[in-house]
Amino acid sequence: MNHEQSKSQIQLTRVSKSFPLASGDFHALKNVSLTIPSGKLVAITGKSGSGKSTLLNLIAGIDKPTEGSVSINGVQVEKLPESALATWRGKNIGVVFQFFQLLPTLTILENVMLPMDFCNSYPKKERKSRALSLLEMVGIKEQADKLPSELSGGQQQRAAIARALANDPPMIIADEPTGNLDSQTASSIFDLFASLTRAGKTVIIVTHERDFSEYFGHVIAIADGEIVKEVIHA
Amino acid sequence: MKTRHNKIFRDLTSDYSKNLMLVLAIAIGVFGIGAILGGYSVTKREMTDNYLSTHPASATIEMEEDISRGMVDSVKAMPGIAEAERHATVVARMKVGEKWFPLLLFVIDDFKTKKTNTPFYISGEREPSPSAMLVERTALVVMKAKEGDELEIKTPHGHPQKVKLSGTVHDPSLAPAWQEQSGYGYISLSTLHALGETQGFDQLRIRVSEQPFSKEHILVEAKGVASRVTQKGYHVHEIQVPPPGKHPHQGQMTTVMSIFITFSFLILILGSILVSTSMATLMVKQVRQIGVMKTIGANSWQIGVMYLMMTLVLCILALLIAIPLSRLAASVFYHQLAVLLNLEIRDNTIPNWVPLLQIIGGIVIPLIAVAFPVIRGSRVSVRTALDNHGVLEKRTATNFWAVRFSRISFLSETFRLSIRNVFRQRARMMMTLGLLAAGGAMFMTALNVSEAWDNNLKRIYSQRLYDLEVKLNQPLKADSLLNKIRRIPGVTVAEGWSHSPTAISKGEATEVTQTYPDKGHGSFTIQAMPLPTRLLSPTVKEGRWLANPDAAEVVLNQNARGGYKLGDRISLAVYGKPTAWTIVGFTEDVGSPAMAYTSYDYFSTLTQTQGQVSMLRIAYADRSRQNAELKNLEIENLLQAEQISVSAAIPVWLLQNAIAAHMKVMVNSLMAMAVLMALVGTLGLTATMSMNLLERTREIGVMRAIGATPATIRKLVVWEGLFTGGLSIFIAIVLALVLSTFFGRFIGNMAFRTPLTLTVSVSAMAMWVALIIIGSYAATLYPARRANQITTREALSYE
Repeated sequence: MNHEQSKSQIQLTRVSKSFPLASGDFHALKNVSLTIPSGKLVAITGKSGSGKSTLLNLIAGIDKPTEGSVSINGVQVEKLPESALATWRGKNIGVVFQFFQLLPTLTILENVMLPMDFCNSYPKKERKSRALSLLEMVGIKEQADKLPSELSGGQQQRAAIARALANDPPMIIADEPTGNLDSQTASSIFDLFASLTRAGKTVIIVTHERDFSEYFGHVIAIADGEIVKEVIHA
Repeated sequence: MKTRHNKIFRDLTSDYSKNLMLVLAIAIGVFGIGAILGGYSVTKREMTDNYLSTHPASATIEMEEDISRGMVDSVKAMPGIAEAERHATVVARMKVGEKWFPLLLFVIDDFKTKKTNTPFYISGEREPSPSAMLVERTALVVMKAKEGDELEIKTPHGHPQKVKLSGTVHDPSLAPAWQEQSGYGYISLSTLHALGETQGFDQLRIRVSEQPFSKEHILVEAKGVASRVTQKGYHVHEIQVPPPGKHPHQGQMTTVMSIFITFSFLILILGSILVSTSMATLMVKQVRQIGVMKTIGANSWQIGVMYLMMTLVLCILALLIAIPLSRLAASVFYHQLAVLLNLEIRDNTIPNWVPLLQIIGGIVIPLIAVAFPVIRGSRVSVRTALDNHGVLEKRTATNFWAVRFSRISFLSETFRLSIRNVFRQRARMMMTLGLLAAGGAMFMTALNVSEAWDNNLKRIYSQRLYDLEVKLNQPLKADSLLNKIRRIPGVTVAEGWSHSPTAISKGEATEVTQTYPDKGHGSFTIQAMPLPTRLLSPTVKEGRWLANPDAAEVVLNQNARGGYKLGDRISLAVYGKPTAWTIVGFTEDVGSPAMAYTSYDYFSTLTQTQGQVSMLRIAYADRSRQNAELKNLEIENLLQAEQISVSAAIPVWLLQNAIAAHMKVMVNSLMAMAVLMALVGTLGLTATMSMNLLERTREIGVMRAIGATPATIRKLVVWEGLFTGGLSIFIAIVLALVLSTFFGRFIGNMAFRTPLTLTVSVSAMAMWVALIIIGSYAATLYPARRANQITTREALSYE
């Protein structure tokens, strides 16, 4: 194991992923190997259908590779059984979706408390105060008791980020988190992600946004299921 | 409370109209179980208590001589005998208005010290004064009299006399008098003599001191007593041992109740299927939420438990509604049953196992029903859940029926699209169809069985071609009497028959029967008729009808058949002597106790009563009840003028009324079940149609966006509902035929010892078709309106 690998959080080794279709197998990823060190804001870019979301899903353990292995902090994700994977994911990875995906019948506060409930990660009495402090951190504490439908898109995405941070995971992954937001709001969201990396978290974002390239310390470009370019900033 | 529980309660309250429907669906089943079981448990307990508290005789020993008090004391002193009393039962007649009805007179030795078959005192005299009688409370209705009134009665050998009804008693061992269409009176021996009879006490009633519920033990003791009295010079001709400790109607009631309990559980299962369908739909609708929850750390177990808890809340709400209401209904039910069974409810406590069973049934059955969709839904992978975009089109494209229907060119495009929509979710469609078909099948079954029951009752008229049966006290030569009867205008046929109580002779000194003290329940009679008879049209199920007037042949009805086969030899006790017969056929009678039919010629020769008859059967040209009542009166007057001693004159309409009254509660309850079934079925249809549409809100938005008008959407939705409903009708009809056969066999065997003929109630079918069409239409109207009210933008953004 080289020095680079020992520092790394995420390591993909010869990962392929294909989906069976009526017309034959579709190869979303082809023999991809990748190392992502911790504490970086990583962008995965590429055209629609290039395989970037598939790559993200494999890192998050949402999907399993057809071939190869995905190792996160030494844990081989694809080998975890479903229930262990759910708990592992809940504690180690915070996921932010393009369409926020807050549970509509829960308040913002409850949405943030939910991961702690599922993973039993904090004592019950502390969960509310932790959720409130996370909401304060993302700037929407005063919206805590509202339902998601009462919030703007930007506010909902902030709430989704607070939810992703609920169990204090070392890694946040986000699939086009600003795809549904105006540029000003998108900028504030990227600011938020940047502050998280400064706090030591690894943030991996699938994005089309070119205007925010200055935020990223590591950019992975994908085309047709293969990494075509990888740029690592100091 | 955990955060995830907030989601459960918010989800439940966010769609409360649908959830209320699910609660109702479960509640109806739980209600049915509680009402039926509550009513049954109280009635069964009270029936046993009421019956046993009369201290029913273990056995009745009938003798040809009057029993002396000394003989009674001697039997009482026998080891194993707890009580012995002498008794007599006389079948008399009472005049109500212008009609004569049967009156069963129980002649009591000592009212003060009576210890077997003791009725409960209600009011008036405790011991009737001379020329007075106590009357069973239910008989007052038949007598159209009240305590203190006088009633004209006539005993077999006496003249009509007025007797005062001096007191009222309750005898729970007797069926209600209005059910039997007869009266019950309790008199002293001196009153019986004053009424013109000379007989004494010819029945010895005993109660055994040990093993009172063992029939074998009772038989041993009763035979011991019979042997003792025989040694003392008495002639015993029959020992009657009714089923120990069992009310005459207990077996029937248990069977009827088991049917209703089955129906109730079926309703609960239907309701649970509805909940299951709905939960499956909810999970499909929330599949992305499930994906999100799994992404943020929830495992399949946690997800599954959440949805099971949701079901549990629905169940608890259903229980909260159903249990109190079912207790009220149970109270109405057992009070009704008490009236029908002549019981007095002394303790109306519903045992705790009833609500316990409701709780278990109302929770476990729905949870089992939802377990499969919940497990399947909660095990969905995160990616599948997050990628879900609604109904899969792949299946639609390959669906055989969808493809076939889409090719029917003469149907409108909207209709064809509706049909294809029906087949899009095959699992859902199967469940919806199953729910509706099961509801419809049970609805139609309930009405089919009810109609089959009515038809069977009508067979009383088609089998009995006579309108009046007159039982004579003494066999007599009746040729000239019959000729006089035949000359009455409107009388078409009059025949003289003979009859005698009988028992299957096992070669023992004394015959043993299962007859109850009312002389009706458990009895076995041999009837001898002139061959060929014009007054009986038996339904021969096996073998043949009587043909040879001089042959020792019998035809047994289903109640007498036992284990006999065609051609078997059977020994029947006639006038206390065993007689040998060959069985040539088996009939299926409606409303007859155990019966053996034979030729009058052979029977009269055997009994040396040639030319004498003990029963007249008379037919009228006009069989209406109105005409029968008039003609019966004319015949009664003729018999009185001819000084013929009559023990009973039973019009066929009276017999039909009596049988109908016996099973009234069952028929009424079947109808109630049918209504509940219809309710659950309609609820199911409404719920599933709403859910089907809810799932396609986005699709409807797309249709609207590409130009579909609100009218098109409405038509599409309504056709879909009607088509689903229509399909279910066909399945329901087929299923109803199977169920009707089963239940008809079950109920018929229980009531008549013969299956009810399969009857298809056209009105039931029409009602169900109408209900489904109206229900389908109504069920789709609201979702269709809702679909049209949502803006295209809202619909397209719907998840």
